[in-house]
Amino acid sequence: MDSQIKQLHQQLVNKDISCTTLIQERLDALKTNTNNTVNSLLDTLALELAAKVDAKIANGETIGLLEGIPFGIKDVYMVQGTYTTASSDLLKNYKSAYTATAIQKLLDAGAIPLVKENCDSFGHGSSSENTIFGAVKNAINPDLVGGGSSGGSAVNVAKDYTVFSIGGDTGGSVRQPAGYNNVYGLKPTYGRISRFGLMAYASSTDCVGPIAKSVEDIRIVLNVMSGKDGKDQTTYASTEISEENISNSRDIKTIGYFKNFIESEAIDPKIKDDFLATIEKIKAKGIEVKELDFFKSDILVSTYYTLAMAETASNLSRLDGSNYGNRIEDKNLKESYAVTRSENFSEETKRRIVGGNQVLSQGFSDEIYLKGLALRDSISANFENDFKEVDIILSPVTPSTPPKIGDSLKDPHAMYLSDAYTVGFSLGQLPTLTAPQGTETGLQITAAKNNDELVLKFANFLKDTL
Amino acid sequence: MSKIMTVDVLSSIKGAQPSEAVNKLFDVIKNAQPTNNNSFNDNHNNGVSLNDLRDDVVIESSAIEKQIIIENFPKSKNGYLVVSKVIEE
Repeated sequence: MDSQIKQLHQQLVNKDISCTTLIQERLDALKTNTNNTVNSLLDTLALELAAKVDAKIANGETIGLLEGIPFGIKDVYMVQGTYTTASSDLLKNYKSAYTATAIQKLLDAGAIPLVKENCDSFGHGSSSENTIFGAVKNAINPDLVGGGSSGGSAVNVAKDYTVFSIGGDTGGSVRQPAGYNNVYGLKPTYGRISRFGLMAYASSTDCVGPIAKSVEDIRIVLNVMSGKDGKDQTTYASTEISEENISNSRDIKTIGYFKNFIESEAIDPKIKDDFLATIEKIKAKGIEVKELDFFKSDILVSTYYTLAMAETASNLSRLDGSNYGNRIEDKNLKESYAVTRSENFSEETKRRIVGGNQVLSQGFSDEIYLKGLALRDSISANFENDFKEVDIILSPVTPSTPPKIGDSLKDPHAMYLSDAYTVGFSLGQLPTLTAPQGTETGLQITAAKNNDELVLKFANFLKDTL
Repeated sequence: MSKIMTVDVLSSIKGAQPSEAVNKLFDVIKNAQPTNNNSFNDNHNNGVSLNDLRDDVVIESSAIEKQIIIENFPKSKNGYLVVSKVIEE
């Protein structure tokens, strides 16, 4: 699919459609949608901004590429004056006091925010069922989960309620729902986009990630949000990715895939066959394909969750109902903290906080947490060696197809294992894109750190090849 | 500091117990062998350099930001946050 952003931009400039009409149509579609994607609509703000764009066009002024383009925001981003609930009881009435850097950059470029989108509470989940707003329903089959944690964002793009949405990816939270709903979803290199104003889940792997229907739209949105930010000391300056630079893949000579992902007993046979058929098509184009060795999936999942839980226990310790959130009073401050947290966190969030405190406690930290850190370094070193051998690593996004709504909640361990193919790349802080091709839940394209451009280039190659 | 704290106390979550699903994840780590035991190498060094620290200046919040922060207080009195009781242990 070609760029929807460019297409709509041209329609606005040509006065084929007014911005107000465009925004009103999308708001109406969101309001009546039955997929549970909306936590709150930003209708008043969106229509005010649309009227300004229409006035500019009427006055003959030039508008920017993103000006007037409707987008959605996962409900974990601060947007000043809007509710930012993280789909939780604790923050169901919380209003953002400021705006996240990534979102501010989109607003400055003139994009129009329509909706705060449903997600797993605090990003805790792989299905978007751990939410107080009702399970997000898959865009293709509403009996199945929308995927998580950025499920509402992926479904809104898939159903054309938003042109693009901004999700958040910690262990696969953009890539997996993108795969479940057949759209593109990017986890950029860690630090390329500022995390300021994104509610922290696991700070060492949290990334701002765009979801859209074309590689070109991902590129446009990524360029706008990228850049060093004094408010997030992990950010770095990056160069803009041009359309020209990602339009041909002549310099991609070798790709690799992890044979243990494909030979695993856990992979759905259809996903395996489709993936291997894709590999053959790539070989037929003259690209060399290498089989690579990697850590076992259960080690990747355990390392990721150990570190993510430790970080979430620390990050969420600030949520005790004292200065914001839904406080429940008890006999003293300490009891008020405990009751507030017990009553307002989801079961999944509590499971992760408790797990995090376990691994950070005396007696466990050496045996589990520090070993987890050492494993992460080994995983990173493995990637560095792999990218001396290959330009791109290709993998399925998920080992199996989306579960039915309700099934993930019954078996949390199985839900953790469903992240087997996404979490490793998060630990390596690598740029990784879901492309909705090749298998039922898509393909994951990964390059070395800071090489987001190569990821998008290979996605264009796949678009023309498969 | 020899007092043993249980996970429900550490987590401020009443009656919280370790879960079987999470313990299964930890068991894998216990039995795994990293190929490199140095957990503090440079692979994850995303911190800013000492030469690139931002200026240590106070940035005044905008009026709207202050107003929203106060609006978010669960309980307030004369513009101040109210808490139930200070802990004295």
